[in-house]
Amino acid sequence: MTKAAHRFVDHWLVDPVAKRAGVATLDVEGSQITAVTWRDGEAAAGATWEAGANPGAGDPVRMILPALIDLHAHARQPGASGSEDVESFARAAAHGGYGSACLMPNTEPAADSVEILDAMVRPHSGAALSMRLLPIAAATVGRRGEQVAPLAALVAAGAVACSDDGAPIADPRLFAEVLAAAATAGIPLIEHSEDPAQSADGEAADGAVALRLGLRPWLARAEHEAVARNITILREVAARIPRARLHLTHLSTAASLQHVRAAQASGLQVTCDVTPHHLALSDAWLMGEQRWSWLPGDDAISPSAAAFNTNLRVCPPLRAAVDGAACRAALRDGTACAIATDHAPHSREHKEVEFGRAANGIAGIETSLSVALAAQAAGELSLATLVAALTTGPAALLEGKMPAPTLSAGAPASLVVVDRLATWVPARANLLGRSINTPLLGVALPGVVRLTLHAGATAYSG
Amino acid sequence: MAATQHLLDVDGLSWPELQRRLAVAEQMRAIRRSPAGRVSDLRDQSVAMLFYEASTRTRLSFVEAAHALGAHLIDFDVSSSSVGKGESLADTVRTLGALGATAIVVRHDRAGAPWLAAQAFGGHVLNAGDGWHAHPTQALLDLAVLVRHIAASDGSLTGRRIAIVGDLLHSRVVRSNLHTLTAAGADVRLAGPAPLIAGFHDYVASRTMTRGSIRIVATADEALEGADAAMALRIQRERLDGASLGSTETYRMKWGMTEERLARVAAPSCRVLHPGPMNEGVEIDPDVAQGPRSLVLEQVAEGVPTRMAALWIAARGLDAPPPVVPV
Repeated sequence: MTKAAHRFVDHWLVDPVAKRAGVATLDVEGSQITAVTWRDGEAAAGATWEAGANPGAGDPVRMILPALIDLHAHARQPGASGSEDVESFARAAAHGGYGSACLMPNTEPAADSVEILDAMVRPHSGAALSMRLLPIAAATVGRRGEQVAPLAALVAAGAVACSDDGAPIADPRLFAEVLAAAATAGIPLIEHSEDPAQSADGEAADGAVALRLGLRPWLARAEHEAVARNITILREVAARIPRARLHLTHLSTAASLQHVRAAQASGLQVTCDVTPHHLALSDAWLMGEQRWSWLPGDDAISPSAAAFNTNLRVCPPLRAAVDGAACRAALRDGTACAIATDHAPHSREHKEVEFGRAANGIAGIETSLSVALAAQAAGELSLATLVAALTTGPAALLEGKMPAPTLSAGAPASLVVVDRLATWVPARANLLGRSINTPLLGVALPGVVRLTLHAGATAYSG
Repeated sequence: MAATQHLLDVDGLSWPELQRRLAVAEQMRAIRRSPAGRVSDLRDQSVAMLFYEASTRTRLSFVEAAHALGAHLIDFDVSSSSVGKGESLADTVRTLGALGATAIVVRHDRAGAPWLAAQAFGGHVLNAGDGWHAHPTQALLDLAVLVRHIAASDGSLTGRRIAIVGDLLHSRVVRSNLHTLTAAGADVRLAGPAPLIAGFHDYVASRTMTRGSIRIVATADEALEGADAAMALRIQRERLDGASLGSTETYRMKWGMTEERLARVAAPSCRVLHPGPMNEGVEIDPDVAQGPRSLVLEQVAEGVPTRMAALWIAARGLDAPPPVVPV
């Protein structure tokens, strides 16, 4: 990896730590940012963060953001490197503008031991990766929901959080135990909130689209009732252990987000994230309708030849446009602190099957920034909000497990250069992940990543 | 119109297209009635039957339809194939394509399976029923039968009341019929046990219809009131227990197509349909199923010309003149 010196003249810089945006020239030498010169002075760049971060019509099309941070990704190692491994994952992530990613422990076997935790992030080739991988430990042994995993040892070995992602912890007593043990170990519990008894056999979100397509309904309450229960348990645990932290991942319903909003208002330490696909797509895509969920729709649509695309099968399922709107509103008002990709690569073997039998998951880390920029272009998210949700929001949950995502002199040169007005069309030829199970194949997306630097090294250049 | 096309769904087919399909099917009926009973116009076609789910009527009538048009038949037996070894639908379809199949008729227990087949196959795919989702040729043959018996003067179903009663939730027949019947202008009334009609209110509200109407009513009597035709849907006995609907006797009393109920509330000439197989004495009484109101056997017979038309249009396009009736 080369560490050339770079000078980025007159780019649109967005620094979510300093809460500053504007036209600036940024210099990189070695692994560090050596200088940032704001064209109109530091004060002007910080004047109006929330609205002012949005570039105007005459502003530079090239934008520099801190390298993005993903709270939720699957690199499929160990156990399913035919779908992805950390090396293909790192290439895909860098193409997506990411410099750090938390990896979920639903590997095979599950990451409930120091040995597996290590195997999750170690490249087969032995070569250094051009990104930071942050392993998440299994919350329970074997992700079986029977016994708390050895969290202290796992944290000592580098785990930044614990989670049984994909296998919600059903037993309320064990859930409380995990919250307490995670608090003692100094990490949050990241929970996939779902009551499997209510979502079993579900193929598509309960609603008109599922009914029309004859897909088995996946009840919304399977999520929001689990969210409510988990918040209730957190409240009990937090009364004894104030530093207990719960982060609810990939929330997808308006009701779930409302529960979190209310809990936060009552002072509880609960946070959540939403995915790019839940904020931007709706279940209408199952009909073959490729339309962002903020655009008005025609109810009279009929399923096209593109219906039943299994790349849309995901857990939780894509829901109604109002739920997508709730995800965006939660980002705007801070209820959701992060956009997390839930990057879930699956090989063709697991996706080229009947819709109801397809594996759940979307490979989303290469398109996440573009999807967020599409929402920004539509006025649904400010640039300040989306950059925070992709950098400082996740960093805050990880509490010092990584350098602050800032663009200031002396900071590591971990950044992404994006041409915000250029568009691209995801396809096998330009995606770098091993698996390309994304419903955005063939869809024109705004925002082309030109360069990703990780501590000064070129992680992606296109 | 493209020379080849799939028949995946009837959702979105316009009344003029449906009329054209009915007209082609009418010609196919004439071919069937001719002394030879068949033509050889589709001898260049190789039709594969890919049935992942049991079927009597649909499968037999597709086979008969392919024979009657002179097409070569690849009668694929899912149960004795590599499907048992886990070969995927997509790979099976690719194999059939490599062996020269030009059309594939797919029946599957999962919604959307024909779409998957269509992606993996270069020829055309005909949906012979996918899960709860769609059963295009059943809806087309039902439409043919209904137009024959209860059409308005313009040949459509405008102003005609059609009741559909029973297990809507699990029925691909009702989903497809809702499209064709409303496109033909009919006013459809739906009724069924609450757990088996769940969600249809939202679904109906989400539809914008240019012709016809759909109304959901609470009882079989309301659905049948003044009906010109009534369709009973099969209730699977195991679902009676699962949905706490009580005994078959209770079901019959509440939702069954009985002569007493028809005579009391339906139009005097109300005709009765059932997609089969029937649970006589449960959703439809034997005297109704076998009586003068019944169109059930006509539905079965209609399967062959309807599916001949489907194969023909898939191969040659909607606007191609159908084969000439042999003398």
